[in-house]
Amino acid sequence: MSVKSSEITPEKVYKRRRTLVAAGVGVLALPLLDSAYSLLTQEQESTNQMFEPLAALPDSQDLPLTPTAYDTVTGYNNYYEFGFGKEDPAQAEKTLITSPWSLEVGGEGADKPGVYDIADIKGEHAIENHLYRFRCVEAWSMVIPWNGIKLADVIKRAAPNSKAKFVRFTTINDAQQMPNADWAGGPYVESLTIDEAMHPLTLLATGIYDQPLEQQNGAPIRLVVPWKYGFKYAKSIIKIELVETMPKTTWWLQNPREYGFYANVNPRFDHPRWSQATERVIGGLGRKPTLLYNGYAEQVAHLYPDLDNRLYFY
Amino acid sequence: MALFNLPITTRKHLLNLGLCLALIWGVYDALMGPDLVSDLRDFTGRYGAYLLLISLLFTPLSQRWSWVKRHLAMRRNIGVWGFIYAALHVLIWIMLEFYYDWQLMLDEIAGNLFILLGILAFLLLLPLALTSTHKAIKYLGYRKWQLLHTLTYVAIPAVIAHHFMAQKTATLEPLLMGLVLFLVLVWRYRHVR
Repeated sequence: MSVKSSEITPEKVYKRRRTLVAAGVGVLALPLLDSAYSLLTQEQESTNQMFEPLAALPDSQDLPLTPTAYDTVTGYNNYYEFGFGKEDPAQAEKTLITSPWSLEVGGEGADKPGVYDIADIKGEHAIENHLYRFRCVEAWSMVIPWNGIKLADVIKRAAPNSKAKFVRFTTINDAQQMPNADWAGGPYVESLTIDEAMHPLTLLATGIYDQPLEQQNGAPIRLVVPWKYGFKYAKSIIKIELVETMPKTTWWLQNPREYGFYANVNPRFDHPRWSQATERVIGGLGRKPTLLYNGYAEQVAHLYPDLDNRLYFY
Repeated sequence: MALFNLPITTRKHLLNLGLCLALIWGVYDALMGPDLVSDLRDFTGRYGAYLLLISLLFTPLSQRWSWVKRHLAMRRNIGVWGFIYAALHVLIWIMLEFYYDWQLMLDEIAGNLFILLGILAFLLLLPLALTSTHKAIKYLGYRKWQLLHTLTYVAIPAVIAHHFMAQKTATLEPLLMGLVLFLVLVWRYRHVR
């Protein structure tokens, strides 16, 4: 069959088009190359001076905190057991049975392990009110008025011994009560060092805005550690264990390169794929600078003497 | 389907109407939700990426299936709509997410492959959208126009890589999109004319 000469692509054009398509393959592979590159350079980074002196970092905020609206706090959540979307947990059926709820406190580091009813625990310790900044690792933030008890109060009941070096939290994992219970292939596990867990800022929250926690916020009891990224705040806790070795946490298992054990908020230490320098204020417009330790440096910086240690900040 | 047998202009109008309504629905849904900005940003970003990827599928699939070939004339509409969604995505990022704070935007962009890929994609798509008219084809001449529009094979990989990097962890959807795109690119490389 004959082809008109105008229909034949000149070789030069043909080659250029091919080069562009090949360049497209390269662009598509960039995220993989980026991951590989940071894996290779990770070792080296840990020995480098990565942060400016503490004093030069924004570590406090003089402005009064404006609480995020109740409907926003209860409408925009990450709780994968109730769906991956931000609005899925709020829209999920209220299938979690939160009363009665028993909390097991044990582990090899507890001399007096026990199983408690949440109602009893709430009755026996002072309920405190704290207006805390909340910073998600996805670079968004809220300000949340929590009600809860000090985690330290619950740990003291278990009489921690010298083996209590870490505290391991386990979320309920019941396919009958949670539509997406199996997303991580097991229960959601989070952990703190014993010093972090005993810190007076660390709470076991039971409410928000003086209302009992909603299912999507981690009813009936969830962890609050305001200087860390939100994925540390284990929800709907059924078990607290005092243990000797550092537990493997759920997000660490998902992606050890991106979600570490400490996960302390630090604007100078970016997530491998996005900046942590600023945060989007949920329910509002614009972004604001992120603060070192989410604005709680004065209270918690002493827990992390080596500010150059990258392990503290991812 | 009777829909497929309608005149091409009617099909194009229906497509335009549908994607316009989808946008209105997206805005309505965002207004009803707890966080307007992320809803609008993610809606326009995700569906813009779908539309752009679909626009690339027309050529290889039309070689195989005649019913795709009968819709080949809609490829450009879908591509232009993909650009409209992408442009809204960029505007939302500048106006709502950063609220015109150029310094913060620059800080966010610097050394950040995720954002850089998004910006690269938009900058590559912009001249293609501007030259998507019949007039532009005539003005440039088909060969030049075609070479220029081969840039979609660079821009859309940047879109999909950006979409992949936006996820908190590796999820199936962007991985599948990447796989489909990779197959299209391999096919295109072997069948360049």
